[in-house]
Amino acid sequence: MTGITHGTALWYASRATGVVTLVLLTAVVILGILVNRRGRLPGLPGFAVTGLHRNVSLLAVAFLAVHVATAIADPYVTIGLAATVLPFAAAYKPFWLGLGAISLDLIAALVVTSLARGLIGRRTWRGIHWLAYACWPLAVVHSLGSSADARGGAVLGVLVACVLATAAALAWRLSAAARQIPRARRAAVTLHRMSPSPARKAGL
Amino acid sequence: MPDTLTIPSSPAQPGGSPAAGGGGLPRLLPPAGAAPADLRAHLARHGALRYAGGRGRLTGEVAAAGLTGRGGAAFPVARKLAAAAGARPAPVAVGNGAEGEPASSKDASLLWLSPHLVLDGLQLAAEAAGAPSAVLYLRPGQRLHARLAQAIAERAAAGIDAVGVALVRAPDRFLAGEESALASRLAGRPALPAYRPARGLPRLAPARSALVQNVETLAHLALIARHGAGWFRQAGTAAEPGSMLVTLHLPDGHTTVAEVPLGIALADLLGLAAGQPGSGEPGVSCGPVPVQAVLVGGYHGTWLPAAQAARLPLANAMLRPLGAAVGAGVVAALPAGRCGLAETARVARYLALESAGQCGPCFNGLPRIAAALGHLAGSRPDRRAVTDLERWAGLVTGRGACHHPDGSVRFVRSALRAFAAEIGLHEAGRCSGTDPRPFLPLPADPPSSDADWS
Repeated sequence: MTGITHGTALWYASRATGVVTLVLLTAVVILGILVNRRGRLPGLPGFAVTGLHRNVSLLAVAFLAVHVATAIADPYVTIGLAATVLPFAAAYKPFWLGLGAISLDLIAALVVTSLARGLIGRRTWRGIHWLAYACWPLAVVHSLGSSADARGGAVLGVLVACVLATAAALAWRLSAAARQIPRARRAAVTLHRMSPSPARKAGL
Repeated sequence: MPDTLTIPSSPAQPGGSPAAGGGGLPRLLPPAGAAPADLRAHLARHGALRYAGGRGRLTGEVAAAGLTGRGGAAFPVARKLAAAAGARPAPVAVGNGAEGEPASSKDASLLWLSPHLVLDGLQLAAEAAGAPSAVLYLRPGQRLHARLAQAIAERAAAGIDAVGVALVRAPDRFLAGEESALASRLAGRPALPAYRPARGLPRLAPARSALVQNVETLAHLALIARHGAGWFRQAGTAAEPGSMLVTLHLPDGHTTVAEVPLGIALADLLGLAAGQPGSGEPGVSCGPVPVQAVLVGGYHGTWLPAAQAARLPLANAMLRPLGAAVGAGVVAALPAGRCGLAETARVARYLALESAGQCGPCFNGLPRIAAALGHLAGSRPDRRAVTDLERWAGLVTGRGACHHPDGSVRFVRSALRAFAAEIGLHEAGRCSGTDPRPFLPLPADPPSSDADWS
């Protein structure tokens, strides 16, 4: 198995799309954290960060669909359709694929509730959206466990980069939450920043 | 809010005889010199409360009377009553006496002097909506609360109320009476305006809406039910019928609450006369005090140069084309010798600090605007401050969940027009203000924690 042949094309496609999906999911998590804390990206207005978060999510779902479809279609190992959604039902590496199946189910829940946000209400949507924090680590462990080439080389490098980027975003989120100004003080803080010192002294 | 109340003088004192239009003013307030009305005095003067006899029955008479909301928005009351009569389940009837506007004291005066008229109106609103219960939402003040609690107890003892009335204390915030903020407070949360303005009646719970009317509106309702639409229309203009309570800030520093017919000339209301006293110079004065500008509609209202204001009536038909409105009836005449820019800057700072801190354009924009005005109020300001103000004003308008940014910006923009000459003076390093004392009233403490909204 040193090159891509007719028989191995699906196997390679499945693994490649898996890696791309993980990178995209990492981007989605980081963008989601930015949206939550009203963070900005250089040169983009606030609403564009939200738009990017949504669009990259849909791109990730598209790659995930190809990843799952090629894994099922690949004759090298037999993974039933059911095993892609039912955790631990696969004959091949049931534990590691099971984690992937849970991750897939969670992503489905996140996408469906986001599309139906107007119907289910903001609070319910928000509660379900917290699942994103469970979904992403499951996907990472699934990648590590089910794929031999994730244990070294370039793929491992990508994985480590994803974990580090997410950890950094998470740390920033927690510190931003700690720095958050209470609602009642927001205008006062801006006013203080805006006022030149003589006016500040005069109470204006 | 301080626990002091303005005892109204007869409107004839500040200016002329506005009651000449008929309909017998004052209607809502006791005649000058009379004591606050207890239940016995109230019944002796107005007669027994006349219920309309069922849900939705009062709507037609109110529509014929042309009564509009006296809380500031002048929304037709009949339309709200019709919406409430059609709502299922029946909404809660709410009397809004939050009166967060520091320059207004007409609601507190009315509640103090004629509590039973307001409570009559609240019962009628509850009947019109088929409401199972009613709430009176009151600005802070122990004396006022005690008085209303006593009035409610008097009525319960006399057995004249169809539904029970609960008293709820409003926080001492400018936006506490905003309808969605009120709904939030009644639902047990802080009195913050809603991110997304609800359409139709505000909701207290998913299945419970509220019919909210200003307390003065309720008092008018109580009289329309007794005397009919024709009587109500004997005061005011055809387009804006009836009387309204106004809070007047006179140039000599006195504050008074009066009941006047809508459409009264501002010159009569404030006692404005052409010419400077003691000389033949042009200008406008109130008694011996020269007046430079008039603020109409309170801190979400509009500054008008005194000469312009002296030709205008207190009527939205004439004020709206100029970007002004009657609002909740706050009218202030700024005397000469006070700096209009300094006054506006003080109020703009207060308005910025009263932002609920929810919408970016409001909590980022209003402080910037207030700071720029503070700069203009100082000596030798940078000309760019005016262009900055206009730009920020445009960025803020229409982008808040509630009307706070829009109203604040309207107030600031009108000051830039009315005090344009003063800006020129400041640029030259001078100021027409000789009296540094603040003129417009402001409360002392801005909110410092989110608990200040509860």
